[in-house]
Amino acid sequence: MSNSRIRAEHVSKHYPGIRALDDVSVAFESGRVNALVGKNGSGKSTLLKIFSGAIRPTSGGIYLDDAELHFASTGDAYQQGIATVYQEMSLIPWLSVAENIFIGRLPKWRGMIDWDRAYRMAADLLQSIKVDIDPRQQLSRLSVWQMQVVEITKALSFRPRVILLDEPTSALAKSEVHSLFQAVRALRDQGVIVIYITHKLQELPQIADSVTVLRDGKIEGAAEMKDVTHKDIIHMMFGEVQLHERPRDIDVTDTPVLQVKGLTRKSWYQDVTFTLKKGEVLGVAGMLGAGRTELLRGIFGADPVDAGEVTVGGRSYSGSNPIEMKRAGVGLTPEDRKLQGLILIHSIRDNLCYASMDKTSRGIVEIQKRREALANKQARELDIKIARMDALAGELSGGNQQKVVVGNWLNTSPSIMLYDEPTRGVDVSAKQQIFEIMWAQARKGISIIFVSTELEELLEVCHRILIMRHGRIVGEVIPGTININELYELCMRSD
Amino acid sequence: MMFAGSAWKPDSKTVRVFLIDHAIEVVLVVLAVGMAVGVPHFMTWDNWMNILRANSLKGIIAFGMTVAIIAGLIDLSIGSTVALSGVIVARMCRDLPAAGMDVNSACLLGIVVALGVGVAIGWIHGVSSHKFAMPPFIVTLVTLNALYGVAGMVSGGFPISNQFPDWFNVLGGGRIPVPGFLAAMSGRASLEGVPVPAVVLLISFAVVAFLMRYTTIGRSAYATGGNAEAARLSGINVGATKVVSFIIVQVLAVISGFMTAGQLLAGSFSFGRGWELDVIAAVIIGGTSFTGGVGTVWGTLLGVIFMGMLANGMTLLNFDVYLQFVVRGVVMFVAVLISSYREQLKL
Repeated sequence: MSNSRIRAEHVSKHYPGIRALDDVSVAFESGRVNALVGKNGSGKSTLLKIFSGAIRPTSGGIYLDDAELHFASTGDAYQQGIATVYQEMSLIPWLSVAENIFIGRLPKWRGMIDWDRAYRMAADLLQSIKVDIDPRQQLSRLSVWQMQVVEITKALSFRPRVILLDEPTSALAKSEVHSLFQAVRALRDQGVIVIYITHKLQELPQIADSVTVLRDGKIEGAAEMKDVTHKDIIHMMFGEVQLHERPRDIDVTDTPVLQVKGLTRKSWYQDVTFTLKKGEVLGVAGMLGAGRTELLRGIFGADPVDAGEVTVGGRSYSGSNPIEMKRAGVGLTPEDRKLQGLILIHSIRDNLCYASMDKTSRGIVEIQKRREALANKQARELDIKIARMDALAGELSGGNQQKVVVGNWLNTSPSIMLYDEPTRGVDVSAKQQIFEIMWAQARKGISIIFVSTELEELLEVCHRILIMRHGRIVGEVIPGTININELYELCMRSD
Repeated sequence: MMFAGSAWKPDSKTVRVFLIDHAIEVVLVVLAVGMAVGVPHFMTWDNWMNILRANSLKGIIAFGMTVAIIAGLIDLSIGSTVALSGVIVARMCRDLPAAGMDVNSACLLGIVVALGVGVAIGWIHGVSSHKFAMPPFIVTLVTLNALYGVAGMVSGGFPISNQFPDWFNVLGGGRIPVPGFLAAMSGRASLEGVPVPAVVLLISFAVVAFLMRYTTIGRSAYATGGNAEAARLSGINVGATKVVSFIIVQVLAVISGFMTAGQLLAGSFSFGRGWELDVIAAVIIGGTSFTGGVGTVWGTLLGVIFMGMLANGMTLLNFDVYLQFVVRGVVMFVAVLISSYREQLKL
């Protein structure tokens, strides 16, 4: 059987001000697992979306063997043999495995659903990728890797020639990854073109036959997996990084302001201990799923903790809540600003004043002048670009929304700020402004814990970086003594 | 300011949002003008006093319901609370004097007990929806039925009539006379007095509107209904907000129960039956979003007046009772339609 190939030829995708993909040509072959890697913003999700029909390239084309493909929609891409399995699952928990696979297309007999045939067809498909799952089982009873396999089987039921797997292991426990890989290999051996998108480099030697690296919208390199080392791939991903300098005048004192001792939330993070000093910008580095966000939420009391304590302002808390933590001078800008940080249907003024309500009121009565003053102060100092203070928060750009979330907390005059991915989805200049804001706070003696997936940001902004892996703090580094490749290596090393 | 600045050009979306935001004002004016022209006796002082008297009882509950819906909650149980509060006072006024208590004290005690019961019910609703994450729709549907039963038990299955002291009856049935010279100025020998419930309506409107607009309780309710998780992470006490919102609507339902009993000179488990739909209709027609976080008490006041005018006009025109139900249903359908359309338009 001759191998089939899917190719992208001179594909570019431009957004206003951004070249997400710049003249990318790449080919993926059947009979092998083709890994596609790259850091955030490298263009790999853009390429994925083009292959899956979600967006159209600005120029260039996609070819399957020698036929050019045009997709009107994702459904159209499915029809033409390109199936995509996203990391967010599209399954319905209370239906059976077979129903999930054939949803909307269940086999019928005289107008009624032919359950026997549905189960048989599902069983055949599952067997073909060598997994043992009962098609009658209710989906919610399965383990996470089994659900991921059902998702893949659903894609497979369309008899695709290409399957794109987007971070299929991101939600899996370590022990489950192996089982999923078996299914992926079985898929490959059926002659399907498997494109495997991941950021977990440690998985590549186990599963990938070839690897293609994207950086800044361009193909940085492609190689047979056996010919490259870990270091080579990391180097291709990051290149020589130009780091901005942190201003020199931000001094850390020796006064501890926050101590975390043995903080544990089972299956999220274990036995986390560290100290934050006055005026310090402390980074937490780690891969997705390392437990960074959960740790911040645990410190802030947003989620319950199982053990350990947080000491702030001379008081120890074990299992606190946001109300107490706010009183103790701690603020958190959450990971998802739209769902957790803002009330999108309310005005910018309101959103800037929610956390500081006790400062703008006497008893229960709100003093309008104080609200006005606090909101205007943040709009000015954070340079929030708005026409009117009573415009809705939902109408703002990502960067301005983030500033509103930050301003909401700065109005409480915090002594400690916890920032969870503050730069996600904001443009470059807004990003730099957010760093400036953080530094300005540090100068005033506010201590900061900064969580980011973008490692170079941590190197640019922080005094000190904690390394978090699988829910544990495994080390601590000082920016300036380490480069980005080494930091990446530390974060994703498997232990 | 929306209209400030010479550069402001109304695009079609802005105009539509403005019209939809003020749909209730527009419709109210149109309806009033239409009825003034088409319905005899509609635009008279006496008729308006009747409209107020008939709608104040549900109206004050609608203000509380506005708070609950803005906070992302709902209270379906208010009808049974109306019955229960009247029955409690009636029973105490009947039985305690037999045990030697003065009827005025018995009535006062009944009022205090009923208010306490209202607070307790609100607290239960709040805790069950916050601590136990039970859906308010179901919880209050359950208490709607259970409290109906309790009201029946307290009253022994029959209305308790003519037991209240006179001052209690004034609460629901009393009128504040209009000074003679005002009547004379309008060319009449006398005018109908202003119903006491209408005064209570205006006072509770002022209190709840102030609460929602100018206090931390109101801001917390808007925040909780707008995005409970964001509110919680801003250090707002979401649990307390829910409890307080439920208590506000219950206490207003208890007060409405006093007035209902006073107006009908009795306490009965059948009072307040089915009121929840009319009350919610007034709130939604007034522009409060069913999904929470958006709405005004002012809008609800207009919604109450609208529903009152509609019912009054239909009665004056001798509409069949069943047809009136249909018309009110259609009106509410349109209100919800406008509300959904507004949400799509904005986001």
